[in-house]
Amino acid sequence: MAGPGAHGEAAVHGAAAHAHHDPNIGTTGLDNRKVGMWIFLGSDCMFFGSLIGTYLSYKGKSLGGPTPAEVFNIPLTSYSAALLLFSSLTMVLALDALKANRIKASAWWLFATAMAGLHFVLNQVYEFAEFVLHYGLTLHTSLFGSSFFVLTGFHGAHVTGGVIWLLIWVGLAMRGKLDPRDYTKVEVAGLYWHFVDIVWIAIFTIIYLIP
Amino acid sequence: MAHDPHAAVAHPPDAPAPAHGGGHATVKTYVNVAVILVVITAIEVATLYVPGIPKALLVISLLLMSAAKFVLVVGFFMHLRYDHNIMRSLFIGPLILAICIIVALMALFSAFILLPR
Amino acid sequence: MATQAAFMPGTQTKAETGLWSWITTVDHKRIGILYGVSAFIFFLIGGVEALIMRMQLAVPDNTLVSAQRFNELFTMHGTTMIFLGIMPLGAAFFNYMVPLMIGARDVAYPRLNALSYWIFLSGALFLHASFVFGVPPDGGWFGYANLTSKQFSPTQSIDFWMLGLQILGIASMLAGFNFIVTIINMRAPGMTLMRMPVFIWMTLVVQFLVVLAFPAITVALILLMFDRFFGTLFYAPAGGGDPLLWQHLFWIFGHPEVYILILPAMGIVSEVLPTFARKPLFGAPFVIYSGITIGFFGFGVWSHHMFSVGMGPVADSAFSVATMLIAVPTGVKILNWIATLWGGSIRFSSAFLFSLGFIAMFTMGGLSGVMHASPPVDLQQTDTYFVVAHFHYVLFGGSIFGLVSGIYYWWPKMFGRMLDERLGKWHFWLMMIGFNVTFFPQHYLGLIGMPRRIYTYAPDLGWNFWNLVSTIGAFVIALSFLTFLVNVWRTQRSGAVAGPDPWDARTLEWAIPSPPPVYNFAVVPTVHGRDELWLQKHGDEHTGGKPVPRPPAATAADVASIHLPPPSYWPIVLAAFMSMMMSGLLVSFILVIAGGLLTLWSMYKFAMEYHRPPAEAH
Repeated sequence: MAGPGAHGEAAVHGAAAHAHHDPNIGTTGLDNRKVGMWIFLGSDCMFFGSLIGTYLSYKGKSLGGPTPAEVFNIPLTSYSAALLLFSSLTMVLALDALKANRIKASAWWLFATAMAGLHFVLNQVYEFAEFVLHYGLTLHTSLFGSSFFVLTGFHGAHVTGGVIWLLIWVGLAMRGKLDPRDYTKVEVAGLYWHFVDIVWIAIFTIIYLIP
Repeated sequence: MAHDPHAAVAHPPDAPAPAHGGGHATVKTYVNVAVILVVITAIEVATLYVPGIPKALLVISLLLMSAAKFVLVVGFFMHLRYDHNIMRSLFIGPLILAICIIVALMALFSAFILLPR
Repeated sequence: MATQAAFMPGTQTKAETGLWSWITTVDHKRIGILYGVSAFIFFLIGGVEALIMRMQLAVPDNTLVSAQRFNELFTMHGTTMIFLGIMPLGAAFFNYMVPLMIGARDVAYPRLNALSYWIFLSGALFLHASFVFGVPPDGGWFGYANLTSKQFSPTQSIDFWMLGLQILGIASMLAGFNFIVTIINMRAPGMTLMRMPVFIWMTLVVQFLVVLAFPAITVALILLMFDRFFGTLFYAPAGGGDPLLWQHLFWIFGHPEVYILILPAMGIVSEVLPTFARKPLFGAPFVIYSGITIGFFGFGVWSHHMFSVGMGPVADSAFSVATMLIAVPTGVKILNWIATLWGGSIRFSSAFLFSLGFIAMFTMGGLSGVMHASPPVDLQQTDTYFVVAHFHYVLFGGSIFGLVSGIYYWWPKMFGRMLDERLGKWHFWLMMIGFNVTFFPQHYLGLIGMPRRIYTYAPDLGWNFWNLVSTIGAFVIALSFLTFLVNVWRTQRSGAVAGPDPWDARTLEWAIPSPPPVYNFAVVPTVHGRDELWLQKHGDEHTGGKPVPRPPAATAADVASIHLPPPSYWPIVLAAFMSMMMSGLLVSFILVIAGGLLTLWSMYKFAMEYHRPPAEAH
């Protein structure tokens, strides 16, 4: 294989050699995976924007069925909102620990984040069950039923995906396969997680709080 | 990695340092932000129960408070405050577009009384 | 030529051969060829669908196909041409050329790139599987609600369309993320954004349009899926739903989509014209800014597809003004292209002719488009053959002419052989004449009242003659493509071998051998200006006429130290399981669950494939 001579030649080619050392760092000095995640989140803004736009366009136009004011459980959903905000904190603490090579601490914070997310989803399952069983509000009851369940359901699916992703990192950490080298990968998962949190910030206010 | 000639390279692979713009939040900052977020959430919910509050005021204050939470999470937890401009543009541009689409759809479906038919 | 030797490295890593190497490839050049070949095949299928329609309409009261069959034909023709023809043909060029033109060795995410292709292919096959099951989609390529509801479309035809488009959308979006990161983050040293070739700029704008517009149709299709499968009320008038919601969401996607279809062709033209005029693109920054403006404002005009639905005067006016404004940056580009040719030393190659044809035909299509921008005028034109003429002038006269120009231009680079120029000119003239004979009369037919999407017409309406003429033109178009196929067949076997730079061109892809070695650049170039290769050959007024330094000659050690991502079967496996899951939605719930679990598992394996790569000896 190429010896020190080639290494010297590679050094002459400057940035190309740098990229060669770490293929994820581009010529802007940014990590490909971070840039990629940010534009993915931008795209996801349009996805949720379309769903929220649909909900708001149909707000107040249902022909029957229970109204939002009748069914919304503000205390429960406020608690869920707090859960997600808390989980964003545990996420950044997990990253902080990872950077400092405190793998076990990082794994615990990641686990806490995932559990907060799981708790959120379970709250949502409970909420959906209440709506269906107690109030008779289903997907096909009214425009409110249709748009509410689809919007919040897809958000819940995003959370679920995030929980699975985080638990995978926890599993890898427990098997000794996570270390500071993986910082950017976990950071990218964190960005996704925070995004899911801010979408809920929007949904909580716009759908639940604003009358 | 014993035979890896690049181990000699000073630049540690994948370490968090290089790509970040100057500055990084501390654990203390994160905890403070989290507390502020929960407080704002509490105020939001409380605002709902203010007796006789005009609807316009309620809506605007709720929107402003949630926007504040949004900015705090994006700026601090997602680190965008310290990050390169490119990443800021990649997110903020689409975000603004999404908001415009929401407003346009609402207007087209007469959610506001602004557009006469 | 002595100048060529300086560009060619001493050793060349040979690409693998065989079917498995193609199935597991993560090389952007191979993926580009896969897209190109697939696109061409589907383009021919879409063409046959068009020919059948034209034969049905050649004479009044015709009975070649039934009304139902005709609905299926125009639905599949439109869907195929747009999603399986033009878009993947553009993708072929993005894949092959973007890394080459920015001096990179591959895209940012090579395996994701392969995944995009295999998902695209599954979506295309999924859509066409509907033919096998006797239920091809018949709701139009735009699938308006509530014709697409379970009530009015009880068979699975719309389900095939709906799910097929979702699959295709995923493929496009994944590629969009890939190319955005590639273009932002993998340019050669010295290539600032304004030094990027205009084709790269147009590609970048297109990718942003893709990742921002497709979510809207994703939502529209999800809402349709929920209506059809779970009884939601999104598009159901009986439940308070508004079919217009579909139209809005669809066109919020649909309008940016047409810019997705045209901007790559504009980018190609912006490369071809300067090469064959031996002049730099006139006002390149203006062309770039216009492209960005078109992309941005493209999100603000969607309801001009809905002037006849009764949105009211305020909405109509707003979208009308926005639509007229968007003609401005388009006009700027056209003027810049013409100015590029002015005073140039022109070589009328086939590639050049097609680009010239693009300017003329696209301008005509743009003019009829500006006519539609006025709501009262549009009320006469909408849903008539005038609109059919308009969009074929911009999509065929524009996109196809531009993409074909790209095929002739870049063919030597991709395949190492020159296409025959004489046959190329036959192709051009047959296509030019055939195209105009087919579609120009349709302006007239539309204005005298012939509606769209009708399978036949009465003989006493005065439409007979021009319909017949239009059909004859369609067969001339078909003949033109036959010419191309003959050209390819002949030259691949015995055509002239192409050197690295047969056109004496301006950009980096022409600095390396034809076809390029698997690693593209043995030595990553440093870039001094927009037309870097031209600067290396001739310099320009900024360098005082002195050529800029070329990269140092590559050594064997340089080549040996290049690392390329190894092949992987996870992309095709993941795509296969995704298709299984999607198919399950039409077959059985168990298949959805099984497919879903397998999809999740293969996503995990895909992501973990290089989590801890084996220690590499350099």
